[in-house]
Amino acid sequence: MTTVQDLVNRLNLTTFCLPDGGRGITGGCYCGDLLSWVMGRAPAGGIWLTIMSNVNVAAVAALTDLSCVILTEDVAPDAALLQKAQAQGVNLLGTPLSTYDCAVCLSRLLQAQA
Amino acid sequence: MKELSLYILDVAQNSISAGATRLELTLTEDARGWLTVVIADNGCGMDPEFLSRVTDPFTTTRTTRKVGMGLALYLLAAQQTGGALYMDSAPGQGTTVTATFDRNHLDCPPLGDLAGTVALLIQGSPALSLRYRHTTPWGEAELSTEELKAVLGEEISLAEPEIFTWIQNNLSQQEAQLEGAAQSYEKPGRTQSHS
Repeated sequence: MTTVQDLVNRLNLTTFCLPDGGRGITGGCYCGDLLSWVMGRAPAGGIWLTIMSNVNVAAVAALTDLSCVILTEDVAPDAALLQKAQAQGVNLLGTPLSTYDCAVCLSRLLQAQA
Repeated sequence: MKELSLYILDVAQNSISAGATRLELTLTEDARGWLTVVIADNGCGMDPEFLSRVTDPFTTTRTTRKVGMGLALYLLAAQQTGGALYMDSAPGQGTTVTATFDRNHLDCPPLGDLAGTVALLIQGSPALSLRYRHTTPWGEAELSTEELKAVLGEEISLAEPEIFTWIQNNLSQQEAQLEGAAQSYEKPGRTQSHS
């Protein structure tokens, strides 16, 4: 099974916070920036791609039990998000790619490994 | 939540959970596009310590999980338009939540179904004394459960389906008239200045 650490290595992702790199990707991928929308739809064990970078991102990730969050478009987490991600054990990564381009790369990678 | 009415419903549910018997929902718009939403209740209120961390998403009174997003997302929605959120509360004194939104900002959600939201709140808590006011420079929409009860008498519950439908229709009409009036209202800044 693909792990979060595999994603980091293969897509050369920035690791803002990686408390559980060995966690497997078990829920596909979800893209979205309206947090209340994502909260009800992101699959447990999945990857979430977003440009949002405030503390509520950690809450949504914890609530939906995501395997990791990838901040796209070179977005960096604010201080409160970084602190909460560490405290809550949320894998928080980054990429310069757009959400679409990152999703395409993830799709190829996950299909190759399946 | 893609509409402001859904945020308002969510925050108003907090008031009801806090044991409020009176709830005032006041929306005030000005000619420049600023909207102020005041949700004021006479519920149990919050102590300063809880109040200071109530917009933190990891704060909740819920016992089934440790995350409560209502006020955290409401704050975010206001901030995303350049607005702000203020809270005033004390134990036994109720809570007032005030949020400001720039309706001209691209990230400001639409108002949504305010009539449905008010009707739903009343149906869910028919004993609640609720006053709704939406005030703008081009007119106003208003509904008060006290006035409804005065007309209907004490025997009829506001949770009756016919009452729910009446409230929704009445307020929808008022809101539609407001929206119509807004279209024809000459907003400062949109008109050319004649010097």
